Amino acid sequence: MSIVRSNSEDSANRNTSAMPSSEQCFDRTVERAVVAAVLQAAGPTRRQLLAGLGGAALAALIGEVLPLDKLKAFAADPVGKPEKKDLSIGFIPITCATPIIMAEPLGFYKKYGLNATVKRAAGWAMVRDWAINKEVDAAHMLTPMPLAITLGVGSVPVPFYMPAVENINGQAITLHVKHRDVKSPADMKGFRFCVPFDFSMHNYLLRYFLAEGGVHPDKDVQIRVVPPPEMVANLKAGNVNGYLAPDPFNQRAVYENVGFIYKLSKEIWDRHPCCAFTVSKEFAAQYPNTFGALFRAIVDATHYASNPAHRKEIAAAIAPTNYLNQPVTVLEQVLTGTYADGLGNIKKEPSRIDFDPYPWHSMAIWIMTQMKRWGHLKGDVNYKAVAEQVYRASDCDRIAKELGYPTHQATSMKHTIMGKVFDPDQADAYVKSFAINSMV
Amino acid sequence: MPSGTKSNPWLISGFLLAVFLLSWHFFTMRPTFDPRGMTEEQLQLMEFNGDIVKTPDGGYTWNPEKEKVKGVPGPLAVLDKARAELAEAFVKKGTNDHGIAYLVMYTVSRFAAGFLAASVVAIMVGILLGLNKVLFRAVNPYIQILKPISPLAWMPLLLYTVKDPKWTAILVVFMAALWPTLATTAFGVNSLRKDYLHVAAILQLSWIKRLFKVILPGAAPTIVNGLRISFGSALVAVVPAEMLLGELGVGYLSWIEWNNLDIAGVIFAILVVGFVGVILDSGFNKLAGLVTYQE
Amino acid sequence: MAFLQVDHATKYFPNPSGGGQVCIFKDVTIKIEKGEFVTVIGHSGCGKSTLLNIIAGLETMSEGGVILNGREASGPGLDRMVVFQSFALMPWMTVFDNIALAVRSAYPDWSREQVVAHVHKYIALVGLTGAENKRPTALSGGMKQRVGLARAFSIEPEVLLLDEPFAQIDALTRGVIQEELIQMWNSSRNTVFMVTHDVDEAILLSDRIMLMTNGPEARIAEIVEVTVPRPRSRATIIEHPHYYRIRNHIIHFLVRHAKHERGCDGTPTSNSVSEAPVEVNFEKESPRAKLTAL
Repeated sequence: MSIVRSNSEDSANRNTSAMPSSEQCFDRTVERAVVAAVLQAAGPTRRQLLAGLGGAALAALIGEVLPLDKLKAFAADPVGKPEKKDLSIGFIPITCATPIIMAEPLGFYKKYGLNATVKRAAGWAMVRDWAINKEVDAAHMLTPMPLAITLGVGSVPVPFYMPAVENINGQAITLHVKHRDVKSPADMKGFRFCVPFDFSMHNYLLRYFLAEGGVHPDKDVQIRVVPPPEMVANLKAGNVNGYLAPDPFNQRAVYENVGFIYKLSKEIWDRHPCCAFTVSKEFAAQYPNTFGALFRAIVDATHYASNPAHRKEIAAAIAPTNYLNQPVTVLEQVLTGTYADGLGNIKKEPSRIDFDPYPWHSMAIWIMTQMKRWGHLKGDVNYKAVAEQVYRASDCDRIAKELGYPTHQATSMKHTIMGKVFDPDQADAYVKSFAINSMV
Repeated sequence: MPSGTKSNPWLISGFLLAVFLLSWHFFTMRPTFDPRGMTEEQLQLMEFNGDIVKTPDGGYTWNPEKEKVKGVPGPLAVLDKARAELAEAFVKKGTNDHGIAYLVMYTVSRFAAGFLAASVVAIMVGILLGLNKVLFRAVNPYIQILKPISPLAWMPLLLYTVKDPKWTAILVVFMAALWPTLATTAFGVNSLRKDYLHVAAILQLSWIKRLFKVILPGAAPTIVNGLRISFGSALVAVVPAEMLLGELGVGYLSWIEWNNLDIAGVIFAILVVGFVGVILDSGFNKLAGLVTYQE
Repeated sequence: MAFLQVDHATKYFPNPSGGGQVCIFKDVTIKIEKGEFVTVIGHSGCGKSTLLNIIAGLETMSEGGVILNGREASGPGLDRMVVFQSFALMPWMTVFDNIALAVRSAYPDWSREQVVAHVHKYIALVGLTGAENKRPTALSGGMKQRVGLARAFSIEPEVLLLDEPFAQIDALTRGVIQEELIQMWNSSRNTVFMVTHDVDEAILLSDRIMLMTNGPEARIAEIVEVTVPRPRSRATIIEHPHYYRIRNHIIHFLVRHAKHERGCDGTPTSNSVSEAPVEVNFEKESPRAKLTAL
């Protein structure tokens, strides 16, 4: 995280206080770091506005949204003993959750002093309910879900944190083998698709893909919500023509000789975020040390998984009934990227699925623009504020630095999706730039 | 020709079972894998995709792992699955994978808790309504509205208020078991012959004695009938409740096996549910036998 | 004041067809002395069973009251035990338990041995020794009613109310039980109020027979004194000169009152509601007694 100090701010602080203690200095440093990050992420007009407020007032304003004091405690005591050792973490049995799941059999939770067990849910609504009702302490969720839950879309509003992205890429559009001659979205008019959840990258990527091909997702096709494990059965039964789903269910369709992989999601947006590791704000505030240890375990596991040399070992570890309950060969094909595509070819795509924990704020903003585009989110949204509140980019980099992994220069960047550039600073304009949408 | 030879029902039963198993096996048989006419590349692709495996003598055969999930499995596949599951019946391999004995225990205890609680409440309320015509007529419209609602339709509302999925599962069973017993108890008590109540009145029996010596024994056969219906209803509800709430149990097992498209596993889970149902039901018959009387 | 007195009893029921109320009986007064055996005879539906239920406290009357031994009797009680037409034995209890239930209610302070002895005594009295552990379903009608009688007598009630007790028993057994009833009653001499259709039974058992007209607004039209001296038996009673006179008189009454005495709008055609019952006594042979009133 780069820190921008403006001289005017420093002098303002020096003038308002007399002889600060070292502790106060430290607190000020954290405050300043956060303020600077916010200022840097804010647009130019906003920057002027905020700078006019003065450092202390700005910090107080931010403190309303971010628990600055907890962050300070967090930063001050990085290796404190976890308050709560026995944790339950919810997951859906898909390869996106690989770091969360593999951390149990491969000992990452234990390494940081936690006795964590992973609890399998049957669908995303179940995970959401478990997370909100504190049935689990942390959860594997889809990247839009912590945003939706914090904003109160589709559930009671409960503030959630997403400290880390679980995986990037790792999805695909799978079609029934009888559609092997389909060449473009235009051929898919009238199709029935399924996605795992309304607020999912799968839904937004599918809609983006169809819209780019001139097909309106709400008018020309049907998109149904089906829990991922049921998708293959539905494809087999002919209830749906295809789906954009997380693996291993794309590979599984090939394994069952009923589907073929039409397009990998990395071909739509390379390095797109998919699933997330989330905790409630309450949990992070109440158990800061536990949260810190858990966070470290996840970041460590994610980086371990990103190494191609480990993929086979991981596939074997997460295949048993207790975790994914899938044949090992299916998982190997997904994780190593050497796979049968269902049309008689063997393909090699090593980054078919990849693992990078950094939760770019710009990713959050893109998700929110799409939520607005399809009418999931109504009214004006302060994209930046929400993204920063929920996606804990700076925290992630702090941990990464501690563990010796590479860090990032910024919390936002421009992304290219199907050839079109997305600039997070121009979010409103981006939303309005789409001809095909469902905004009211 | 000797006449009067009795036909043994068990022989017929056994015969029907044998016919069923043989036809099941016959219809799910697959021919052995024949590699003739396939290129090396095709064979490699099939092997890569897990369709076939190499045998020790260098030939190919269908992958037994995949046989489990291809179409409907034959009785032998189900038997294999059963053997594997029963061998580890008492093992806990992780938070999400407990042995079948544990799963049965969870399901039965969940079912028992919901069913017993519902039965107690239903009998108490049913007696009150059966004895008091005015109250019955006042409450009856609500019973008629609530009775046909599927217990699973209550699940989201219950989960939202109760928040804990364990309790929600028990409450779903409760909602399923409540109404039949309530309705039949009220009916049974109401249609108890007035003479018995008159005798109780003349003999100045205390309300406790009246309840336990006259009303309950008198209405018992009808109440037991209601319990039997509730019982079936609750058993039907517990399995999908487990599926929807992700609570470990036999219903959960059939759901997980379905997710993995392991039909043999699904059939096995169904058989277990049926087996548990049979055991509980026969216990019920014994209870019914204790309380029936003839006028 | 008689030992058991029904004073100006009136009973209304809501009209089943249409609105308003139907008067079952009006202003009925019955006086029964202690130790008397009184029977009410009338056609079905005239309200005699209702009258019995009112005395038993199982139903309420719209006007009037029941006085027993100088005190008002409201609600059921152990002092007025009923023997039911349908026997009313609890089918889930044995013969012994059925009677014991009553004995324990009447004598709550008794020890277990006392109760057992008492129950056995009455079972023996009705000749059912050996059947103590049988369920009612295994008994014939006659045996069931014997249990009913045993139960009733065992609590030694002030008043015994018999509601067509032998109507569901076959004719041959009926006669036998009637005589058994006489035997039982002879030793305990409870006050008895019986309702029946059977004229012969009434004459055999009762001291007085009350004749009830038909409803609506039924009333006791006549009270016939049974002038056959006790002890009576079926074999000898028919030899008595008054037997057939009484019998014929009653049958004539019943025949006369066979049709419902109702106008088209449900009002009674007779209006001698407030007349006191005519007393009929063949010993006294008064001209008034020969009058066939109403």
